[in-house]
Amino acid sequence: MPTRLREVDLVIVGLGWTGGILAKELSEAGMRVVALERGGMRSTNPDFAIPLIRDELKYAVRNALMQNPARDTLTFRHSPTEPSLPMRQLGSFLPGEGLGGAGVHWNGVTWRWTGIDHAARSYYEERNGKSFIPADMPIQDWPMTYAELEPYYDKFERTAGVSGKAGNIRGAKQPGGNFFEQARDRDYPLPPLEPSYSQTLFNDATAQMGYHPFPRPCANASRAYTNPDGSRLGACVYCGHCERFGCEANAKGSPHITVIPKAMAQPTFELRTHSWVTKVMLDSTKKKAIGVAYTDVSTGQEYEQPAAIVALCAYAINNVHLMLLSGIGTPYDATTQKGIVGKNYCYQPGGGGVTLFFEDKIFNPFMATGAFGIAIDDFHANDQFDRAAMGALGGATITVGQSNGRPIGYRPVPAGTPRWGAEWKKATAKWYLRAMNIGVTASNMPNRYNAYDLDPTYKNVFGQPLLRLTYNFLENDKKVIAYVGQKAAEIARGLKPTSMTGPGALGEYNIVPYQSTHNTGGAIMGTSPGNSALNKYLQSWDVPNVFVVGASAFPHNSAYNPTGPVGALAYWTADAIKKRYRQRPGLMT
Amino acid sequence: MLRQVGGVWFVVGGAIVALVVMSTSLVGAADVEKGKVVFEQCAVCHSLDGSGDYDGPTLKAVIGRKAGSLEEYRYSAAMKRSDVVWDADTLDKYVADPQAFIPGNRMAFAGIADKGERDDLIAFLAAATKDSKSN
Repeated sequence: MPTRLREVDLVIVGLGWTGGILAKELSEAGMRVVALERGGMRSTNPDFAIPLIRDELKYAVRNALMQNPARDTLTFRHSPTEPSLPMRQLGSFLPGEGLGGAGVHWNGVTWRWTGIDHAARSYYEERNGKSFIPADMPIQDWPMTYAELEPYYDKFERTAGVSGKAGNIRGAKQPGGNFFEQARDRDYPLPPLEPSYSQTLFNDATAQMGYHPFPRPCANASRAYTNPDGSRLGACVYCGHCERFGCEANAKGSPHITVIPKAMAQPTFELRTHSWVTKVMLDSTKKKAIGVAYTDVSTGQEYEQPAAIVALCAYAINNVHLMLLSGIGTPYDATTQKGIVGKNYCYQPGGGGVTLFFEDKIFNPFMATGAFGIAIDDFHANDQFDRAAMGALGGATITVGQSNGRPIGYRPVPAGTPRWGAEWKKATAKWYLRAMNIGVTASNMPNRYNAYDLDPTYKNVFGQPLLRLTYNFLENDKKVIAYVGQKAAEIARGLKPTSMTGPGALGEYNIVPYQSTHNTGGAIMGTSPGNSALNKYLQSWDVPNVFVVGASAFPHNSAYNPTGPVGALAYWTADAIKKRYRQRPGLMT
Repeated sequence: MLRQVGGVWFVVGGAIVALVVMSTSLVGAADVEKGKVVFEQCAVCHSLDGSGDYDGPTLKAVIGRKAGSLEEYRYSAAMKRSDVVWDADTLDKYVADPQAFIPGNRMAFAGIADKGERDDLIAFLAAATKDSKSN
């Protein structure tokens, strides 16, 4: 028999970036807030202290900070005609677990999405004509404009300590920044990090070719920084242990050192770790949530936490899973194309990149940060880029980063090298210092068959159906990767490497090797209940006291990483709850 | 081009034209105010007065303290067995290259290469971390 607890104003499911932002903003506004985090407590010291944090086997291979797929995972198939099978080991993407969530183990790339992303359908209809958009591509505009979200992007950049260089301050182009950037009110809070040698080569080569290189904005602090809330960040030491690790120097903008401690200082806030939410409880009308049911996974005790508002702030995949398990909204059916929840799952194709090998250059790849890099946006944010020539919607960024030089995982070798044995060993020793990569990251447009639903066969540790993912790369993705991959190869050839690999063609999606933890959609936002699960405040159309915050709300995926708009939308939603919903609960318009 | 070196003005790029000893600071003297600015890099993890919830040990009364000796702080084994007592000289060596001076310690900091900045920092620390009870 579950223990029924005392009602609170807001219960938050999952305490990462979005949950942390809501927790801070709304507990400071005087609301009684309980956050339920299914993983454990974490703090920089001792959890991320050196030397133990630099354990590649524990954190990068065995995924110590991630969700345990033996307890909960998803099933996968390429198309509705295939049987689905559970993902028993993490691979393609890495959902985080524990206080801070993915905000602890992320790299820190913090973009503001483009105006084209905000007007995803209307931009292409106007520029390329309605027929340019395939019939099975349910692309749609965001329900708010970039200008509306701008102050919230700014707030998130300042909270997370983003290092970068503005390209456009209130319409005035800024030399050294992103030429194609949307207008921003002011520069980044911190200057860019020191570029690597490979980044300098890329910067000079692309500038000479007439492209517009700029430092990629990143939440790796280029110097010690105190954010507007008084949270302190240290200077990045270029240790190369961001992705899959917590930051030892508090230099990576993360919720566990910023918003979460601020919430925890509030007497009206309570955090419960090891608390696994299994369901949002609805009343008999199914139009109102009365709270959440959860299990303390350290004791097995079940609880019900009544709340006036429920905020789903788990990883994007788990937000959709909880909606489907709880009966919030109508599940999407790809065959009939009826229903909404589960629709427009998108990912982020890579694969068009090239790796360059130089006999005469030393790159020191171990001097790295998760997010620093030099990028060009000429084939993505550039609204003059002729997509008709590419024959596809969207685009791709071309970037030289260097997120790590980890000795187990980072082993670049030229094409034709054996995959194992003495020759491989010799090659990997020779080329470790002498390789650089030019990465191509593409946007991903939705398709009617790329979607989530509940699996009919497989169940999680609580006996609940697993989420089933149906997904594959499509013609549009292949065209973008092929087109922009050639551009990357052209840049690479200009650098005159001894040899180079790639660009590869995009084949079928493979869920086994790691690609990116940029899973979007499933609980999408829009302008009406007919085209979306959530309104512009990320409020469920069907159950208006449920808010679903995170990349699950994106109707498509950009070539940009998702965390910038994820943070901005969390502040946007927190503001709407604070200033409007609290005074007049109900569907906001 | 004028450059200040230890309180003395030189004209760089040719013969020395003028030597003016600054009245406010002696040659090589450390600057506590500048040290306060340098300390901002350390303030992320270290308090000066024993207060607060910080990732590193407090620097209150650090001068004269044996390294790794605060009971309430969980140090690395490397720091505890280092047999270092903090003074201007040991702090200087540590801050210059933390992993070289005490290999295996847990401080996530790359070090300060500039000797002048280190001198300023240590002068600031000496002034700002005095334990009022023991003085």
